[in-house]
Amino acid sequence: MKNRDRNNEQHQQILGAFQTALGQENVSDGPATMNAYFGDWLPPKTLGTSVPPEFVVLPNGTMETQAIVKICNRFKIPFIPVGSNQWSLSSAPNRPGTVIIDCKRMGEIHEIDEKNMFAVIEPLVSLAQLHAEANKRGLYIGSPEASAQSSAVAGHLFQGMWGVGHRIGVAYRNILGIEWVLPNGEILRTGSFSQDPACGFWGEGPGPDLRGMLRGYAGALGGVGVVTKMAVKLHPYPGPRTWPCEGHIPNQVSILPEDRFSWDIVKYDDLEGAINFMYEVGRAEIAAVLQKWPTVYYAWWWANSNEQYWETWKKRTFQDNVKNAVGVSLWGFTSKKQFEYEKRVLEDIIEETGGKRIPREIYDLWVPRTANNWIRDTNGSRMMRPSGTFLALRLPTDTLRNSIGVVRTGYEWVNKFSPPILDSDGPDWIGGYDFGHFGFGETDFPVEKTPEDLGDLMNKLLGMTKEDLQNGIENGIGPFLGGTYHAMAGKVFKYDKLLKGIKKAIDPNLVSNPPHNIPVED
Amino acid sequence: MTENKEMLLPKDTRYLKYPADGPFDQEKARWTAFNCSRCSVCKWVDSWRVKSAKYARICPQHTKYLYDSHSGQGKCDLALALIDGKLQWDDDPEIKNILFQCTMCGGCDAMDKGIRDAELIKMYRWLRSEYVKRFGPLPEHKTMTDSIREYDNVWLQPRLKRNNWVKELKGMGIKDLNREKSDILFFAGCTYGLSDELKGTIVNIARILLKNNIDFGILGNKELCCGSPPSKTGILDEFERLAVSNIKQFNALGVKTIITPCAGCYGTLRVEYDEIEEKKNFEVLHVAEYLDRLCQDKKINYKKELGITVTWHDPCHMGRLGRPYVPGRDLEGVYEEPRNILKSIPGVELVEMERIREYAWCCGGGGGAFTGFKDFARWTARERLAEAMDTGAEMVVTSCPWCETSLRAGAAGMNEKMETVDLFDLMVKAL
Ligand SMILES: Cc1cc2nc3c(=O)[nH]c(=O)nc-3n(C[C@H](O)[C@H](O)[C@H](O)COP(=O)(O)OP(=O)(O)OC[C@H]3O[C@@H](n4cnc5c(N)ncnc54)[C@H](O)[C@@H]3O)c2cc1C
Ligand code: SF4
Ligand code: SF4
Repeated sequence: MKNRDRNNEQHQQILGAFQTALGQENVSDGPATMNAYFGDWLPPKTLGTSVPPEFVVLPNGTMETQAIVKICNRFKIPFIPVGSNQWSLSSAPNRPGTVIIDCKRMGEIHEIDEKNMFAVIEPLVSLAQLHAEANKRGLYIGSPEASAQSSAVAGHLFQGMWGVGHRIGVAYRNILGIEWVLPNGEILRTGSFSQDPACGFWGEGPGPDLRGMLRGYAGALGGVGVVTKMAVKLHPYPGPRTWPCEGHIPNQVSILPEDRFSWDIVKYDDLEGAINFMYEVGRAEIAAVLQKWPTVYYAWWWANSNEQYWETWKKRTFQDNVKNAVGVSLWGFTSKKQFEYEKRVLEDIIEETGGKRIPREIYDLWVPRTANNWIRDTNGSRMMRPSGTFLALRLPTDTLRNSIGVVRTGYEWVNKFSPPILDSDGPDWIGGYDFGHFGFGETDFPVEKTPEDLGDLMNKLLGMTKEDLQNGIENGIGPFLGGTYHAMAGKVFKYDKLLKGIKKAIDPNLVSNPPHNIPVED
Repeated sequence: MTENKEMLLPKDTRYLKYPADGPFDQEKARWTAFNCSRCSVCKWVDSWRVKSAKYARICPQHTKYLYDSHSGQGKCDLALALIDGKLQWDDDPEIKNILFQCTMCGGCDAMDKGIRDAELIKMYRWLRSEYVKRFGPLPEHKTMTDSIREYDNVWLQPRLKRNNWVKELKGMGIKDLNREKSDILFFAGCTYGLSDELKGTIVNIARILLKNNIDFGILGNKELCCGSPPSKTGILDEFERLAVSNIKQFNALGVKTIITPCAGCYGTLRVEYDEIEEKKNFEVLHVAEYLDRLCQDKKINYKKELGITVTWHDPCHMGRLGRPYVPGRDLEGVYEEPRNILKSIPGVELVEMERIREYAWCCGGGGGAFTGFKDFARWTARERLAEAMDTGAEMVVTSCPWCETSLRAGAAGMNEKMETVDLFDLMVKAL
């Protein structure tokens, strides 16, 4: 597909307008540069459904971003804002003539307010940067399994599922103020930013809480403008000021102080047992991390080479030992005494729920090299290693118990679609959030990265979604975004209506990443 | 535990085991590029190692030029598009910059190896050589290329000048391996050997070796360039010519150990020569590795207390690029030895920068950037010097003529002063 359908004169006119706004070096239309902005790890590029953008622009700050958005409106050209640009499903252009608004020149941490526990950040600040600065001050923020090199703002705007969600909730609930260039070029400041653009301590108001506009099932995907500044909550952290890490890549280990942090991996006979345990831990209001990982996660995050991955898999090292296991990390937030208290409570819960710890040798193999990725992730991108990519189906966001049913029906599909789905041992990921008040599930599995295998699978998954809809199954969006999401999100969430309403009000020219969200043109 | 025969495994066996052996050809380049997941790991210091927001980046090229095309990920996208014919080599003059601004420091390569089995630096070398096949060496690299072809060194110097540095050590017992035998060859390298500014370092090293009665020899006028500069700048025929000649010469002389003070020579002799079919009958050590053994045995007799605080800059080619790649194996390099030596010098306090070992920030001097993209090389060096200053150190110590030259060039014109000193020059000050 061509990356533009306008004539050269029009192209030059737009180029000139961008260059006037940002300076020549901050605007590119060169094919070699465009080539780096359209995917890929999930299917779009592999399936030939994405196209290079026509321009990439690098604005610095809110005013320059506003200038770009206004130019986009003037010429009616679609734009897509990107952070680290990892989520190619929604950030790779799939229509000609798109402008990528790359936030690389917006990488400042404006402020870390220790007393009030929040940070004010720009879109390219990585989660690892924010972690490092927060940790120095005894504060903390989570990271999604996209790894901590991804953008903290994008992470807060996106799914927001992170390791410590059990304790601190999903990322988007941690957003305080937002400075935001709306698709029509107006600037909106929410929370206390609205009173003082330098002050981000308070999230709500004035008036209705507009942060909701940035949310969809998985964020607004750049569909409602560009966030140029965000205030995010930070949380107390009892760990060392510098992240502990020993050894060399790819075998580094990370061990947090034993008098304040612990990891237990507790196994149950079935998924119900595991989820029951998660409820009990939530009810007791203990622990910081509470995750039921699928077997593939143990191997994905741990293996340090393809050979090690598949050899370990063939030996069933993890399959035989971690099925229906829950990882739980206790933190002594306030004191060693509190930590000891939580340990005793956890012990009681394990006993009462009939849990068993996984074998010591598996624990020792896995925990030092891998567990702390759920506190600060560095190995998440290993997910693509075994076969070039992975996919998911059935992503429920509801109660923990609801997740059981959804991921379980997911197994049937996984079996039905294997191959092309590769060996994955019932890949159910269920994370507990807000002390078990809600749960998120995902059914992740490896697929070989070939256009044939992926094309085949995408069609099957689309068929599955349609079948689900016909059967009145209202939960478990999948797989990720694109066609199936479009097919489902409207019916399930009425998100199409909501988004159309929002778009009508703030995006009259439909320029803000239109095609990736719910189709709104019709 | 049983092996399940029914398992559904990837059909492409390269997913089962990365093919690290064999020449790095177009197929391997495509494999590396195709499996890039655009995760951005190659742009940042490994997340577990990030200690501050200020020093969180790993890639000088991407940090400076910002577009994703100018990063490891972007070069994967470029390789894939060029190989698959989606882009043509002459479609965009920026291709030259994307490929050659990069300092070939391997920061991206090391971080990438944390999450997948791949060899980015080899892919860059392949891309550069394909570029050179089509357009010839970069004009900025032409002098160096001509010099290598004409004189077997990169500095347009007559062969006879190679021996100049030993003149002041005449009669002290350095063997000429063209006439005498020794198990140990001291390989000076073009840059230390031919630069008036830098040759003092190798004189100092030779003095330390002689003082400790180490039996070693040199090749004098017969020493050839190791082949590092042509290897990094895409002139692979010259690299091969030099590598084959060198291996044959070392084998013929019966040398068992080669010690070199130059990080660039070290990485090339130790790692890149593995690509040459000619069998190597010798081991390669950096002088720091060799002298560390003497320090451990307390054989070095220091006489003076220096009373200084220093920081150590890890040269890329003796660090993360100083070992052959074995998927899954630690990215080891010569990290501890120079630090041990520094700690052994009386009155030297070593303070570390934030980005060290395999996640060190480059000096800007490598990959032909120093000659090809001077301003960028200088900017990269200044970033490093700023990091060094933040440690409170009075000087930055390293052991690579390229790093020293680049860091000194970067320091020129900076308001705050930060001296760059060679490890062995510092050592000699305390003897
Ligand atoms: C291997 C892997 C594992 C993952 N695991 C998890 C997980 O466990 N939990 C989870 O929540 N997520 C997960 N994700 C998704 C992940 O959250 C996002 O990919 C990540 O946060 C994206 O960061 P990014 O900087 O790459 O965003 P990008 O890809 O740059 O952007 C993501 C979306 O946000 C929009 N956007 C980006 N910046 C802005 C801005 N400034 N203003 C407005 N819109 C913007 C983009 O248009 C895009 O649609 C995973 C992704 C991968 C690849
Ligand atoms: S780290 Fe590797 S896989 Fe990730 S973007 Fe860079 S080159 Fe691609
Ligand atoms: S080798 Fe160095 S400069 Fe080149 S892309 Fe990698 S990190 Fe950047």
